[in-house]
Amino acid sequence: MRNPWAQTGNYKTDYRQDTAIFATYLEVLSLWAFLAVLLVLPFFLSRPQMFVLDLILVYALAVLGLNITTGYAGLINIGQAAFVGVGAYTAALLAPSLPFWLTVPIGGLAAAVAGGIVGIPSLRIKHLYLAIATLAFQIIFEWTVGHSTILKQGGAISMPRVEFLGYRVGYKNHYYFWYFVILLVVVVLAFAFRNLLRTRFGRALVAVRDNDRAADAMGMHPGLTKIFAFALGGFYAGVAGALYAYLSRAVVIEDYMLPVSIKFLAMAIVGGLGSLVGSFLGPAFLVLLDLNMEDLANWLKSLGLSYAGVDIASAMRPLTFGLVIVLFLIFEPRGLANWWRLVRNFFRNWPFKY
Amino acid sequence: MRKLGILVFLVLSFGFAQKVHLMWSGAITGPTSDAGKYYAQGVEDYCKYANEEGLTGGLTIVCETRDDQYNNANTQRNFEEALERGDPAFLGYSTGGTLQLKPLIQEVGMTYIPASYHIGNIDPPNNDYLFLPIVSYSEQVIALLEYIAKEKPGAKVALAVHPSPFGRAPVPDAKEAAKELGIEIVEVQEMAKGLDYTATLKRFANKGVEYIVYQNVAGPVATMIKDAKRLGLNIKHAAAHYAGGPDLLRLAGDAAEGVIWVTSYYMPYEDAPGAAFVKKLGERYKRPADTIESVHYPSGMLAAAIAIEAIKRAHTAGKPVTGDAGREAVYAEMLKLSFDPGLAVGPVTYSKEDHVGVDHMRVLEAKGGKFVPITEPFQSKLFRKVHYGK
Amino acid sequence: MSYFLQLLVSGLVVGSIYALAALGFVLIYKASRVINFAHGQFIAVGAFTVYALVVYLKLNVWLSFGIALFFTALIAFLVEKLFLKPLVGQPIISVIMVTIGLASLLDGLIHLTPFGGGNFSLPRFLPEGGVSFLGVSVSYPQLLAVLLTALFLAGFGWFFQRSTLGAAMRAVADDQMAAMSLGVSVEHVFALAWAAAGITAAAAGFIVGTVSGINLESLVAIGLKVFPAVILGGLDSIPGAVVGGIIIGVLENLATGYLDPLVPGGGTAEVFPFVILLLVLWFKPHGLFGTEEIERV
Repeated sequence: MRNPWAQTGNYKTDYRQDTAIFATYLEVLSLWAFLAVLLVLPFFLSRPQMFVLDLILVYALAVLGLNITTGYAGLINIGQAAFVGVGAYTAALLAPSLPFWLTVPIGGLAAAVAGGIVGIPSLRIKHLYLAIATLAFQIIFEWTVGHSTILKQGGAISMPRVEFLGYRVGYKNHYYFWYFVILLVVVVLAFAFRNLLRTRFGRALVAVRDNDRAADAMGMHPGLTKIFAFALGGFYAGVAGALYAYLSRAVVIEDYMLPVSIKFLAMAIVGGLGSLVGSFLGPAFLVLLDLNMEDLANWLKSLGLSYAGVDIASAMRPLTFGLVIVLFLIFEPRGLANWWRLVRNFFRNWPFKY
Repeated sequence: MRKLGILVFLVLSFGFAQKVHLMWSGAITGPTSDAGKYYAQGVEDYCKYANEEGLTGGLTIVCETRDDQYNNANTQRNFEEALERGDPAFLGYSTGGTLQLKPLIQEVGMTYIPASYHIGNIDPPNNDYLFLPIVSYSEQVIALLEYIAKEKPGAKVALAVHPSPFGRAPVPDAKEAAKELGIEIVEVQEMAKGLDYTATLKRFANKGVEYIVYQNVAGPVATMIKDAKRLGLNIKHAAAHYAGGPDLLRLAGDAAEGVIWVTSYYMPYEDAPGAAFVKKLGERYKRPADTIESVHYPSGMLAAAIAIEAIKRAHTAGKPVTGDAGREAVYAEMLKLSFDPGLAVGPVTYSKEDHVGVDHMRVLEAKGGKFVPITEPFQSKLFRKVHYGK
Repeated sequence: MSYFLQLLVSGLVVGSIYALAALGFVLIYKASRVINFAHGQFIAVGAFTVYALVVYLKLNVWLSFGIALFFTALIAFLVEKLFLKPLVGQPIISVIMVTIGLASLLDGLIHLTPFGGGNFSLPRFLPEGGVSFLGVSVSYPQLLAVLLTALFLAGFGWFFQRSTLGAAMRAVADDQMAAMSLGVSVEHVFALAWAAAGITAAAAGFIVGTVSGINLESLVAIGLKVFPAVILGGLDSIPGAVVGGIIIGVLENLATGYLDPLVPGGGTAEVFPFVILLLVLWFKPHGLFGTEEIERV
């Protein structure tokens, strides 16, 4: 008999079972338990801690988008922060006249359109050339914002305080309110991400990544598929950007520049490319690493471990950031998601290991 | 037993000085860190000094400098932590980070002193709790234009600004002021990171530009000055606070000769009490020569001095200095603060309408590898008229 | 006319820096199909090494330059051996990401020296002034920059055409399998390509130091300007890198000279090369001299 709580052997008899998301009840249960934890977590955290948590979730959204473009479709995107910025600036321009539950999806759509436009060259070029096109988009985006008076030339555009069902969001409940909004969006979009590969479009992405000529021969249009990948990745980024705009109360160009794009790529790599769980583990890992490096740097500084003209503390962040990327790529190219997979497989078979 | 321990601790902590935390968040690393690292040292050193010399009204002020790497999310998190801890005031840094935090600052009513002298910081909306330590970028640039108009009436001027909100801040006011002064702003040019400014300079020269006014950082300014010298152009250079200083001299060498610069701070080699004080502090806390030489070192000190003075006054008046009530009390003191820490060329004065601390500045000129003051401390005549229309 | 000529000449100077940087970039790409995002950091290593030797150890400028060439080449060589060799055969994104990680890592290491923040300027070692002709003035450091670039390009041209090692490198770039079967050590060639790129990067860094100030951020920014240059020239073409670099340098200057007055705020030189990059990608994706790849399923 098949044990619904553990996977003691392969009992799959049809294709539907093979594509099921959850192999055992235990996994279903653990997902619900995890969501429950996420729901009650705010009651135990202080405001600064909530901010970090919100930040991780927003980054996770952007990284999910990157995992569609780069992870599923294999198109390296060095301009994800610019797509996030398109969403943020759209939200900032619309926020005075529209409620947030409209500006956030519209921000996503605007970034999706931007993604489609950036993806147009993929009708002719591929691989590295596309990566460079996204880099160009990032730089052109920064310059354009800096020269647009309507966008305050990169200075701060304040976001209005949000009122929702008569509930006015002030500084005391700001991060808590947005936590639940973000959580809802994350759950919906993560669900869509997980199911994307079960659709025709999702599978086309992977087929084009693995061999676009072969995919072409099978009747998929590689160029359009790539444009679709850019647009969808852009949508996720735009939604993340709009949420980030509300979360940080203002839109400032510095949050959407090249180093941030690189940070997103690093998060995707560290988490594990194309992985749902990795899209959360990556941002969490890098954000927490950054926080701890700050403490370590402060501690090093307090020891006075510094010689004339050199601030050891200032080296710690870029050093560890670079080291983490390089070490993961060399020793664990599948990222943190792989560790997660190992743990999960252990429990999937447990206690009947074979 | 454990309860007793807590009790003992409480009693002891009442016996000792009350602790107040004061946080500075700025770029010790990352972009603009060449200014930020000295600024941080200034904050730290003045704070230590104030505690040791009893300038805190019996409080122990624990200053903490955080590196936000010029990243607004980090600034925001640091600010939230300070707020959560019940800090009565906050020392900020970048233009972007400050502008972004404005709505929150207004909402929670925390006194906030940035290192960015962007006029937008203290312009409405949400500007009640922001205080600039010295004159704004706009006022600096207008002061330079006033000086130029006096030196050469009807001069043709170009503005060379940094491609960021920091650089663009004074442009509208400068254009207004130029109209009033009867000088012509021929062009506003954004520049940074260039390897060569021949094209820009040649264009300026073709249009008859006689002065270039910089609202920028020292690196590009130095390159431009050197290029102008190489091309043999007869153009004078005038730098606002962050564009000039010892950094510029080091980079541009003797090409910097004759450059004028406006700032509110003293130079360390000057014979002035403020300069001697900065030197004394630097030596006392064993700072290297480049720190003492940097103009950002006294800048950090001044920001810390203002916050500490307001906290002290609130405390001596018997008001709480932490938490919600502390923020309110310190803000009330800020609004009527008037004192002279001696770190800049004028006293620090604030009021409900005036959120600029030191209203005076001086024009200095590079002579023989040093910036030498060529004017007495003065206030811009035109700035208020141009910016506030009065 | 003299205005245009002056723009042209100073564009040529900046362009020759880009050309040198682009040359190293293309060398790496040609040999190992790696896009190097850490190229700007190599340029910085070269520039700061010269500065440290000249200012701290009071060595002769040319001697320092020689040491810096060698040192940067060594660093690039080690980078290849330590970080890129383990990734041979991995997907292209891993390889690109590793260079992005390296950029950050090298940034951190540079921050451990006094050169992390702040601006530095090499002591002047050339006479002041310069030459003027047709109303165009060129300073001696600028003249040196162009000459040095020409020298390096000629040197590398000779190396690839005439030396055995150069021929081996070209063979590897052409067909790895065939080269291997003829006894060329591909591993060796990869590392050498990186070392050669290190040399050109250091040269570019030194030249930046002579014509303007050095600062980590702006040196790293050159590493980005390389992209428009190599895309224009063709990612895998050495003459393309040189031509592309010079064209981008000149266009940047022409943009500043003629476009900036039309755009409020100006600063078009920052973005113009990247607009060209996109246009090239749309209309002539393989650049002026690049080879079009023919693929089969």
